[in-house]
Amino acid sequence: MTRNKHGLELEGKVVECLRAAMFTVEFENGHRVLAHISGKMRQNYIKIYLEDRVLVELSPYDLTRGRIVFRYRN
Amino acid sequence: MNAKPFTSGLSEHAVRITRVADRHWHALDDDLVVGRGYAEHRPDGRLFVSIDAWHDAAFDQLAEAMSAELPAPLYAVVDEADVALTARWRRAGFRIRRREWEYAIPTDPRATGLEEVLPPPGVTIVPAGQADEGMLRAVDRTVRDEVEATVGWWQSMPAEVLPRSEDDTIVDPSKYAVAAAPDRYLGLIRVVTVRRPRIGLVAVRAGEQRRGIARALLAHALGTLHRSGFATAWAEVQESNQAASALVEGIGARSVSSNLELVR
Repeated sequence: MTRNKHGLELEGKVVECLRAAMFTVEFENGHRVLAHISGKMRQNYIKIYLEDRVLVELSPYDLTRGRIVFRYRN
Repeated sequence: MNAKPFTSGLSEHAVRITRVADRHWHALDDDLVVGRGYAEHRPDGRLFVSIDAWHDAAFDQLAEAMSAELPAPLYAVVDEADVALTARWRRAGFRIRRREWEYAIPTDPRATGLEEVLPPPGVTIVPAGQADEGMLRAVDRTVRDEVEATVGWWQSMPAEVLPRSEDDTIVDPSKYAVAAAPDRYLGLIRVVTVRRPRIGLVAVRAGEQRRGIARALLAHALGTLHRSGFATAWAEVQESNQAASALVEGIGARSVSSNLELVR
């Protein structure tokens, strides 16, 4: 886990692809968040699939919500 | 750089918008970044913006600041299923310019109905990796020029998001199968499999269309994927390209999502 100017960022795995362009991401500690994909990733047509390893920025207002800001090469 | 204080009238959140770099903005809530905006030029010269914000007020104020400081027109891409984000962009004055459907295409010939499809007489399909590179580049160049001269949307296709050198639009010739006449290539199909197979392009020279060449190219590509163990291929089709939509829907493809390109 890292905390930078953007807030908390954690690596996790996509365990559910939901409707409305949302994903459930599970972290190593078992905590799950509901996450959407960042605008830059969307703009560059980067797709997120089940079991992708991703970096998630957590919402400072709600730690059950996040934003996928990076997809790792599996 | 520029710092512009805001007290939002839209919610309880008060944020401050700061332009932290030439194409990068922050929305700050008590020094915490609660929103970020980016602007980026596509290879076709258009300026695309994206905003990530944790609440509506931050989004609205970022959109307002960026729109005021960047030259119009501005473009954005959003997943149509993301209703909340689409509504935010609409509130910021953006409207839908185009829609891209993502299709899931079965590869099984029994599902596509392409089992018996052959190229028209005098035309052969050259599998991926076996095409002559010079002739491949020639047909690619011709098809691009024909599209630009007619409907004119090639340069703005999502596939063109990657920068390429001006005269070389074939990144990896091994990804292309072609339909060949004795003296030249008539059409091409590009399939790239990174995590799952994606049909990035099916195109036929203008004078050779409506002969079944595109169907033959699809039959070949999908059959190859099926034999390799892939049950589904994926493709994006612009909504206004009715011929392409009819082609893929006619072989059992189903739309699974859509991206909107917005403009202000």
